[in-house]
Amino acid sequence: MGKTVLVVDDDPDVRLFSVTVLEEHGYAPLEAANGEEGLKMIKENKPDLIILDVLMPRQSGIRLYRELKTDKSLKNIPVIILSGIAKKTFLRSQKALTEFGGKEVPEPKIYLEKPVEPEVLAEVIEKALS
Amino acid sequence: MKIEKLLFVTKFEELGFDAVRSLLSLTKADLNHVVFINVIERDRFAMSRVGYRKDEEIRLREAANIRFIDWSENLFEQGLEVGVYIVVGTLVSEVIKAAQKEETDLIVIGRSHKGVLEHLYSGSDVTELLRRAATPVLLYKHLSETAISIEKPFDRPLLAIDWSPASLRAVEYLKGLGDVVSEVSLVHVASEKDLKGTSAMEIQKTRKETRQKLEEICTLFETEGIDARAHVYIGDPDDEIEKAARDCQATMIVLGSSAKSAWVEKWLGSTPRKYAEESIYPTLLIPPEKK
Repeated sequence: MGKTVLVVDDDPDVRLFSVTVLEEHGYAPLEAANGEEGLKMIKENKPDLIILDVLMPRQSGIRLYRELKTDKSLKNIPVIILSGIAKKTFLRSQKALTEFGGKEVPEPKIYLEKPVEPEVLAEVIEKALS
Repeated sequence: MKIEKLLFVTKFEELGFDAVRSLLSLTKADLNHVVFINVIERDRFAMSRVGYRKDEEIRLREAANIRFIDWSENLFEQGLEVGVYIVVGTLVSEVIKAAQKEETDLIVIGRSHKGVLEHLYSGSDVTELLRRAATPVLLYKHLSETAISIEKPFDRPLLAIDWSPASLRAVEYLKGLGDVVSEVSLVHVASEKDLKGTSAMEIQKTRKETRQKLEEICTLFETEGIDARAHVYIGDPDDEIEKAARDCQATMIVLGSSAKSAWVEKWLGSTPRKYAEESIYPTLLIPPEKK
């Protein structure tokens, strides 16, 4: 069985795309449709990698990322952000939340802006897991 | 009652980011989460003979997505939490569903753009929403529709009190917004038949008693650090509340929404519905507590 990769995205087409890429490369994909569901699945399954969208209902990727990186048992799980939201915005948002009294969190390992080619996604997944 | 999370309903043509921006003063109180929803109604892409046009649905979804990404980036950078729903369905049902799923404290929606006939036979989306929502609803009026500035709609609300449970609930709602509201004007509109008695003394006594009751509510606001003034108007509430809003330079009208049945609402109308649909002022409707 390949390494488990959790895809957290509210767009079913994007989930299907990512899951197809993962399966083709021998990974075991898991899916969640929003940040809240994603966090629950991360705690239950401890995946090897998370592919995370930013703009989602219930809980955004910004808050989920912050929760992961401030949780001792989850902070080492690598995260690829795959979003239509610009990296600059993601970083500014994290900075603003830190200024409001939150903990400082590291930058995500890999940040990809949607859309992304399948071979590029496959390549960064391999890189993130190596 | 706090406004921590609001649901902003837009079809883009009636409410834009300027309206979102004007609500950001609520972050001084408790607002920390904005959820956007765009409902694509099926008649936008359903064709009677050909059937369903998937390509048109995709185009509409992506157009909405592009706008929401831009709006969301702005809010994320201010440290706010943002969520988005782009759904195909019926406006009111999808809004109610999203409000329940997200447990929002306020729904913000623009004025209905239905035609006169459609309005007469099916009622407006707004009326339907007011009837079904358990959450307060803010009817936002587009800047181009109004002659008043709505840069800070919560700054000087006018609260119309009719002593109904919903209007008293509105008092509680506004009391929690001390950091956003600078002054509340409390108005009670007495109808001419309420002015019992034939002498001036008796009529003045009625006015004095009403005013005293309003002053008690003013005290409640003042203990929360919000200036409040009491006003008694005489006449038809359907006209007098708007006049009072103008006299007080209010930035918004707040009303307890009616608990009348759908049938009564449709045929006899109601003051909250009238203001929601016709007033030039942003109108906040507070529903009665659901039992």
